[in-house]
Order: sequence, then structure tokens, then C-alpha cells
Amino acid sequence: MYLILLSILFPAAAGLFLLIRGRTPLSGEKGNTDRKTLLALTGCFLVITASLVFASLLTVKEGFTLFFLTKTLPIYFRIDGVGRLFSLLAVIVLPCAGFFSFAYMKHEERESRYYGFYLLVFGVLNGLCFAGNLITFYLFFELLTLSSMPLVLHSGSKEAVMAGLKYLFYSLCGAYAALFGIYFLYQNCDSLTFTTDGALRASAITQQGGFLLLTAFVMLLGFGVKAGMFPMHAWLPAAHPVAPAPASAVLSAVIVKAGVLAIIRVLAMFGKDFLRGTWVQSGWIILTLVTVFMGSLLAYREPVLKKRLAYSTVSQISYILFGLAVMDETSFTGALFHVLAHGFVKAALFLCAGAIIYKTGKTRVEEMRGIGKEMPLTMWCFTIASLGLIGIPPTGGFVSKWYLALGSLESGLPVFGVLGPVILLLSALLTAGYLLPLTIHGFFPGADYDYGSLQKKEPCKLMTVPVFILTFLSVLIGLFPNLVDGIIVMAAARR
Amino acid sequence: MNFICNIPFFSILLSLFSGTVCSVLSAKAAKIVNRVVILAVGLMSAILLLYLLSTGESFIYWMGHFPAPWGNEIRAGVLEAGMALFFCIIMYLSMAGGAHKLPGEVVESKHNLYYILVNLLLSSLLALVYTNDMFTAYVFVEINTISACGLIMIRQVGRTIEAAVRYMIMSLLGSGLLLFGLCIMYDLTGHLLMSNIKESVGLIVANGEYQIPLIVSVALMCTGLCIKSALFPFHAWLPDAYGYSTVSSAAILSSLVSKGYIFLLIKIIYRVIGFSVFNSTRMIDVLFVFGLMGMIFGSLSAIKENDVRRMIAFSSVAQIGYIYMGFGMGTQAGMVASIFHILSHAATKSLLFIAAIGLTDVSGGSRRFADLTGSAYRNKWAGVAFTAGSLSMVGVPLFSGFISKLLFAQAAVQVEGKMLASLIVLGISTVLNAVYFMKTVIRIYTATTETPYEGITFRHMKAYAVTLVFFILLNVILGVSSQPVVDMIGQGLAMFA
Repeated sequence: MYLILLSILFPAAAGLFLLIRGRTPLSGEKGNTDRKTLLALTGCFLVITASLVFASLLTVKEGFTLFFLTKTLPIYFRIDGVGRLFSLLAVIVLPCAGFFSFAYMKHEERESRYYGFYLLVFGVLNGLCFAGNLITFYLFFELLTLSSMPLVLHSGSKEAVMAGLKYLFYSLCGAYAALFGIYFLYQNCDSLTFTTDGALRASAITQQGGFLLLTAFVMLLGFGVKAGMFPMHAWLPAAHPVAPAPASAVLSAVIVKAGVLAIIRVLAMFGKDFLRGTWVQSGWIILTLVTVFMGSLLAYREPVLKKRLAYSTVSQISYILFGLAVMDETSFTGALFHVLAHGFVKAALFLCAGAIIYKTGKTRVEEMRGIGKEMPLTMWCFTIASLGLIGIPPTGGFVSKWYLALGSLESGLPVFGVLGPVILLLSALLTAGYLLPLTIHGFFPGADYDYGSLQKKEPCKLMTVPVFILTFLSVLIGLFPNLVDGIIVMAAARR
Repeated sequence: MNFICNIPFFSILLSLFSGTVCSVLSAKAAKIVNRVVILAVGLMSAILLLYLLSTGESFIYWMGHFPAPWGNEIRAGVLEAGMALFFCIIMYLSMAGGAHKLPGEVVESKHNLYYILVNLLLSSLLALVYTNDMFTAYVFVEINTISACGLIMIRQVGRTIEAAVRYMIMSLLGSGLLLFGLCIMYDLTGHLLMSNIKESVGLIVANGEYQIPLIVSVALMCTGLCIKSALFPFHAWLPDAYGYSTVSSAAILSSLVSKGYIFLLIKIIYRVIGFSVFNSTRMIDVLFVFGLMGMIFGSLSAIKENDVRRMIAFSSVAQIGYIYMGFGMGTQAGMVASIFHILSHAATKSLLFIAAIGLTDVSGGSRRFADLTGSAYRNKWAGVAFTAGSLSMVGVPLFSGFISKLLFAQAAVQVEGKMLASLIVLGISTVLNAVYFMKTVIRIYTATTETPYEGITFRHMKAYAVTLVFFILLNVILGVSSQPVVDMIGQGLAMFA
């Protein structure tokens, strides 16, 4: 119990401490030592938080109620399979991106504010993964939006502030649509504690089945906003690229997954049997497939690298949602696997993009000719991660897409059972189309390339090591899917 | 009769006479008297509340020991005592939070006048809460209006005089309508004591007589009180009155004065007309529709506003709309939600007003958004408090605003015909709230390098900062442990019947 609480409260308190203490502007001689203490502190906080989370993941079995919001609404924490999986992703990506920021944020202003909110986000994410009922989950979902918004508008430019506001309003609208559904669930369920297969009362299903379906759809749309599902995806390509690169990595790899986690929870509350074969399922599958294809297409046409990666997130998250929407055990496994695979890959890609920006200041794809000659290590990682996203064996992306397609075919859904895998394949081709040119032109700039001006621009270890780790993990889970399978099987059974 | 039963009477008289005494005291002494009185009344109300919770039933206090239907009566139940206690807390905090501004806002020679008005206001609020007699209620409504008007006008700037005249006209119209309604009711029933009127109304309804006069009377009383509590579309007086008066006045006016009238309306609904009779009139639908419109139009006006205090004032229009929407649902749950929102809004709105003054002070006294840029860094405490208030208004969990929205939604789900309308408007209004409050929060936290304004540190505003902390705590307590409060409201409403 205390471990869970600590893993939520410690980073939050540490973040607040940095926010309050970090008033002195960091510049000059004294600023340098200030910066060192700040980084050392943040590093310690990150490591301590990560170990707290690991400890609670390994040891805590029992759920507990912290207090009662109202008589029937407890704030309740419990670690279950799904939560464990998402928490695992967060606890790996956040420290990696955090250490990467130590180098990346060197020339940015107001670092302490950045790290403060970064730690806050960490704490809130832990709370989100460990939440044991819908109302606790909603609490952290709102807090996540509020604490991650400052990361988006960190640079303070007009564009960033507008993107931050866009993010805020889309998320709040979505969260409210979801809250609307929570009210109905509250009326029609015995409790809001997460279950495995539907918490609706049988009487409610017979009496107001149609209305409950509508509620389910509204909730899917509402939480889908966070996951960047069409038609409410527009905030994502605006907000992710303006944030500092490590923050974009966290946003794209972990925070959008909060929407996925939310949808898994909602599905479990309604129960798959209740939704399977209804218009909600078909409507949802159509939306996810549209998003998958459209996201890839937009990414293919996008010249700015970070924006391209953001569109790619839109598309890839909907792979996961598609797997959930099919409501088949195999595709569910695939979806959960893709949560991890995409998380590692996308974080690695964004960090590579950050390293490129940091070292060369280049943001557009066509400027990056010959980049592989200048930053070979980074680009090798970029290439391997790209292969993961496309889904080429032996990377993690292959395994997840395999399961997704298999599950979709097995499910026996009319039309979508077959159409789904086709669109996934098309989108994978597009993915290759928008990621590989970087590698190709990066390593083979062509005969007219001026080799004379070539400089070694490999970034420092603080930047390369996190990228290595993430890339390595993305391959590792592809080579040894059984490592993850244990967790996923547990999550699939959602014990 | 237990000695504690004297408390309602004592607290009304104490604040009434202390007001009179203040007129011969120096400004400083008047201030002390004012604080002590508020604290004393608050303490007595707390004792009364505990007593009522332990006995579990309300009591009626005969003034001068004349029995009904001749004598004047005071009635106290859990809800009344709780309200009185809450009003005292908010009033004390608002006075404390605005105290440092007073010398700049009000001429030195008028300070004791200011405290007279505040004490009178408190006594009239208490009387509105406790009285069991319709005519006494009317008298104190007038006292309330006059003192509120004085509170607006005491800061003598052109805009406040205009605002006060406006407030006076609208308010007198409201009390006039209330008086008409009261006269018709007296004519119909022959009584002025609430319990007696209710009996007679029951008979009239049972016999099916005088339907139209009864409805007219109910409509007049409701409209009168709606005007006075600034329900849309009668809110035109509000932004100026709240936006330009002294900061304590603004906080008190927005969180207490309008709430006093709303509480009187609740008493009329339950104790004079009867809940079921009231629900059978079409009045609740009217209140419902205007409540919903207020929720949207209030927020829209707030979005357009470029003056932070007027923005907060317009947001009150929206929040009053929430309260009337709860009335309009016509269920016990809706009423509980409304009463909880009265508390939650009072705690939040006064916090926002008090925090906003801290921000404008470090921006050269300007309330325009452009000047407020980065003000949260110059006054950290006010910045944090404003953010907390905004989050509560938007309805983020752990703050009081979330609980009231939850209660409204739960109430709405139980009412067939009004469910969708109220949930959708609740959603729109929440998002609109988020638009302007979050915009402001981002604005005050946008750092600027070239600012001509000086910051302020904790050492120079201890009392102010402590007040803000108490306000935030109040909000969080209402948000985190709402169940006892909700139970108490339910118990109080049960005592009304």
C-alpha cells in the first residue's frame, strides 16, 4: 500500500519541490553549478521513482482504498495485469527520456520548470496505471492532461501556447464526454471497480440496452481523443512536435497510451459480450481503420520530421485500438504487445529526431541528406527502430502486427475481418515509405554530396545511451516475445 | 427550552447591534468589533449545529413568547445552522483577505461606515436564514439590499456609483415583486408565518380553489428572488457591481448576498409553498430553462471579457445558472446538488476574487489580461490560489467544483425528461469554463522579462497569504470529504418538511 502511494506521491512532491525552488534564473558561473545540482537532483528523483515503481510492481498484490470521495465512490488503487503492462512502459521510457533531456535541455530556458512538470507527469502516470476504479482513473486522467500541458507549451512561443491550448481543450472535451458516460455507468453498475467481463447489471442491459450502447460509444470517442483517434486527432500533430524532443517522446510513447488504457478499462466495464456484434463495434472499427490509413498518409506527405513522427503516432495508436475493437483474444494480445513495441520504438525515434535537431538544427526531412555519415550511431538506431515500426522481423513490431492480423482473421467478423489486415498492410507499406527515405538518403546521400564538409556530430553519451536502450528493447521483445508474453497473458486474463 | 435555542436570536441581534455600535467607534475599533462579531456568530452557529445534529430535530423559537399565529418565530434546523456557520467562515475570510486593500479603496473617514454595513449585512443574512416569518424575511431582504448597495458604493469611483444605482433599481424591482407575491399570498391564506401558510396552501390546493392567484403569487416571489440573485437574464447589474466594488465587497456580494436570497427561495419552496405543490406548478420548468441559458450565456460573456474581475463576475452568472438548474429538476437530489453548489461556489468565487486582487496589485492595479502576464511569478501565493480556484471552477477532481458537478449529473440522470438537456449543457458549460479560466491561468504563468512591475514576497502579505491558504483548504475539504456535508444537507432538507 505504501509503495503504491509513495510511487505516486514521491515524484509529485519532488516535481513540486523543483517548481517552487527553481526560481533563480540559471545563467553565468553560479548558474552552471546550479544546473548541475538541478540535474543531479532530478536524476536521483527519477531513479528513486523508477525503483519505487518496480518495487510496487513486484511486491504489491492487494488493492486498497485511500479514502471515500462520496459514500459510494472510493479512491481505490490496485495493480492488475493491464496496469502492470502500462506501468512497465512508463517506468522504462520516462527515465530514458529524462536522462536524454539532461543533454537536450542545456540551451533551453527554465529547465527547473520542465523537470518539475516532468516528474509530476511521472507521478500522475503511476497513479493512472495503479488506479483500481473508474473514478480514480478519471481523477488521474484529468491531472495527466493538466500536468503534461506545460511540457507542450514549454518554449512559450505563440505557436507552442496555441498548441498547448488546443491540447487542453481537445482533452477536456474528450474527458468530459467520458465523464458523461461514467455518470451512466455509475447508475447502471453495482460498483465502478474495474472488472474483467462487464459490470453492468443484467436488468440495465435489458431495459436500456440501446442507450447504454450510445454511452459506450461516447466514452470510446471521449477517451479516444487522448489516443488521437479520428475525428478528434487534430491536437496530436499540433501538440507533439512543438514540445521539446524528449517531452514529445514521452507524449507520443506513453501519454497517448493513457487513452488506450482508458479504452481497455471502458471495454472491461461494459463487457465484450455486450458490445460484440453491435453497431458500436462496427462504427469503432471503421474509425480506427480510417485513422490507421489517414495517419500514415498524412505522415507520408509531411516534410517536417517531428510532425511526421506525430502523424505516425496517430496511425500506430489506432493499430492498438483496432486490435481492441476486434474483441478477439489474439488481437487483444497483439494490441497489448503493440503498446510496448510502439512505446519503445516511438520514444527512440523521437529521441533520435531530438538528437538531430540538437546537433544540426535541421528539422525538415529533405535537409537530412547525409545525416547517417555525420551521426552514424544515431541513424543506425533510427533505422532499427523504423524497421520495428514497419513490422519487419525480428523486431517487436512484427510480433504485434502478426497477432493483430491473425486475431482479426480469426474473429470471423464480416468484411472487417479481412479488410482490417489489408489496411494494416497498406499502412505498413506507407510506414516504410515515410521512414526509410531518411535512412536511405542519410547513409547514401548520392554522388553529388559534398563529402568535404562532413563533420562528426555524434551526440554525447547522455543522448545516445537512452536511444540504445530503447532500440535494444524494441528488438529484444521481438526476439523473445515470451518475455513479454507472461505479462500479456496475465493482462489478457486481466487478473 | 434549552439555552442553546437562543443562539439564532442572539446572533442576529449581536450583529445588528454591533453595527450600530460601530458608528461611534474609531475605524480600528470598528474593525476589531466586526471581526470578533463574525467569529462569535460563527462559533455560536457551530455549537448550534452540533446541538442540532445531536438532537436530530429542528426547533421553533417564539420571539417574546407569543404563540403562533400572532407571534414572530425563528426556526433553526441543521441546514440553517450549517448555512450560518458557512456564511460566517466565508465572510471572515473575505474580510481578512481584503483588509490590506481597504485603506486604498475607501476614504479613511468612512471605514467605520464600511464595518457598519458589513455587520448589518451579516445580521440580515442570518435573519434570512433563520426566520420563519415571511414579513420578517421581506424586511431583512430590504436591509440586505441597502447594506449591499452601500458596500458597492463605499468605494467612490464613477463606475461604482453607477453600479450601485443599477443594483438599487434592479434589487428594488426584485423586492417589489417579492412584496406583491407576499401580499397575494397573505390575501389567499391570511397568514404570514411560514408553517401556517403552508397548511392553508395545502387546503387551497386540495379544494382546487384560487389556482391562478396562487400561481401568480408563486411566480412573483420566484421572479423577485431571481432578479435579486442575478439569474440570467436579470444579471445586467452584476458585472459592474462585483467588478468595481472593493475586493471584500465583491467577494461577499458574489458568494453570500446572492446566496442569501437563494436560500430564502429554498425556504419558500419547502416551507411556504410545499415542495410537491411547487413542483406541480410550471415554475420549475421556467427556472430550469433560464438556469441552463445562464450557464451558457454567462460563460460566453466571461470569455469575451478583457477584465479579469468582470470575467470572474460573469462566471458567477453561469454558476447561479447551475443552482437554478438544480431547482428546476424538481427532485430532492437536484436540490441537494444545488445547495452543495451554493457552498462550493461561495468558497471558490470568494477565493478567486481575493486571489485576483493579489494578481492585479502586482500588475500596477490594472485588470487587463495583457498587464497580468506573468503576475503569478510576482505574487506566487495569489497565483497558486487563483489556479486552485480555477481548477475547482472547471471541475477537476479533488476540488469542490467536481463534487457539485457530480451531484448535478447524478441528479440529472434520475430525471427522465431533463436528463439530456442538463448533461449536455453541463458539458458545454464545463468546457467554456475551462476556456476562460485556463486561458487566464496560462496568461498569469507566462513569464515575461520586461515587466515594469515589482513582485511581492510572503513577508509583506502574511495575513493575505494565510487567508488564501484557508480558502484553498476549504475548497479541497469540500472536494475530498463531501459526504458528511451532503448528508447534512439531506438531513436539513428532511427537517424542512
